[in-house]
Amino acid sequence: MATNKTEEQQQQSQAGRHQEVGHKSLLQSDALYQYILETSVYPREPEPMKELREITAKHPWNLMTTSADEGQFLNMLLKLINAKNTMEIGVYTGYSLLATALALPDDGKIFAMDINRENYELGLPVIQKAGVAHKIDFKEGPAMPVLDELVQDEKNHGSFDFIFVDADKDNYLNYHKRLIELVKVGGLIGYDNTLWNGSVVAPPDAPLRKYVRYYRDFVLELNKALAVDPRIEICMLPVGDGITLCRRLK
Amino acid sequence: MATNKTEEQQQQSQAGRHQEVGHKSLLQSDALYQYILETSVYPREPEPMKELREITAKHPWNLMTTSADEGQFLNMLLKLINAKNTMEIGVYTGYSLLATALALPDDGKIFAMDINRENYELGLPVIQKAGVAHKIDFKEGPAMPVLDELVQDNHGSFDFIFVDADKDNYLNYHKRLIELVKVGGLIGYDNTLWNGSVVAPPDAPLRKYVRYYRDFVLELNKALAVDPRIEICMLPVGDGITLCRRLK
Repeated sequence: MATNKTEEQQQQSQAGRHQEVGHKSLLQSDALYQYILETSVYPREPEPMKELREITAKHPWNLMTTSADEGQFLNMLLKLINAKNTMEIGVYTGYSLLATALALPDDGKIFAMDINRENYELGLPVIQKAGVAHKIDFKEGPAMPVLDELVQDEKNHGSFDFIFVDADKDNYLNYHKRLIELVKVGGLIGYDNTLWNGSVVAPPDAPLRKYVRYYRDFVLELNKALAVDPRIEICMLPVGDGITLCRRLK
Repeated sequence: MATNKTEEQQQQSQAGRHQEVGHKSLLQSDALYQYILETSVYPREPEPMKELREITAKHPWNLMTTSADEGQFLNMLLKLINAKNTMEIGVYTGYSLLATALALPDDGKIFAMDINRENYELGLPVIQKAGVAHKIDFKEGPAMPVLDELVQDNHGSFDFIFVDADKDNYLNYHKRLIELVKVGGLIGYDNTLWNGSVVAPPDAPLRKYVRYYRDFVLELNKALAVDPRIEICMLPVGDGITLCRRLK
């Protein structure tokens, strides 16, 4: 009996692990989220993105990946704004990076940073096969020193059409101080995970994972700060784990 | 005792009516939706839009209005795509129309249609006060005959077309709009997640009109998903907007 229970628990646990790559959506039901994915996302997902998503699903840190609905949205957004020169902070296996690379024109450029090159190299073969790897300039290491260097040269001010930040939440506001100079006027910064699994409204006694609770304060602080920043217009979209789009005003 | 209960019920009913203009969101909780509204939407909502939203809240059909989060999104989207020439099918009191007019440049143009001019005129003073009414060309009446006429001559002349009207006609509109929107331009179909009812089990209690239009919404979503002339994106903003970018 005890053995059966353990097997059942293991099966359930594995079923949980192989679900839609760890994403609980922000929507009213899993059914509604699945509906969006199955009706409008998966049938339109480019082959390389499907392949990269499946590779990532097997990775132990797959909770970190960009979801398919978010990838589709980013891809469309970049085409709508005719983005050509972009930056990405936080790459992981490269799902949003690939979504971006597929959206940019052939001479488009993405400057991408992550502290972990290994994960990037997991997805790189798929990006190469898709014929868009030449658009990517990947740099391993923390982003802050690189941003500080970029900001020092006035030529880099306003040089990016779009900057996507999907990284360490306790540094978003620090990144923002630099990115607001680097993105062009009328350009877009996207901050990912700003609804933090819905935990932004969890009651004080709610059971939260340690890392969720830890970073939640930074997310709440970020959201407050962006809301009153007069240099940008904002829009919080409940796509993925929440993306806040910030359009630079001047 | 009976009187007290009735008063209480009346108070609760009124509290319900004066909630965020009838919108139950598509999100996991009302609290999360309120968080978005209070953190990022209301503090940034332009005065005219706030005023129009409050006027609309008192109207008996206020369920039809565009929500504040959706208005903010449309406004940003239009600026991002540098829209100049747009169309709107379904105006009601004009909340999304105002959001659009505020986003367009001074020489921008919006061709707006609704079967009901009275509701439009409820919001028009606010739009005029905001100094953007000159961008709007309003036409009362059903959209179909107007579209049929436009299609004879105006292909690819619109940057953005927003459809927030009779769901049983969306696919019929689509046949015309796909010619009228420019290549690379955007059509936005509103209410495509239909209050989440797209996934309601067969025995779920649904309002008559929700159940009736649901079939059309499901059909629309299927059709847009396989339309090779567009790229699509279903966004869970408001009651669900499907953005369709024309490919060629």
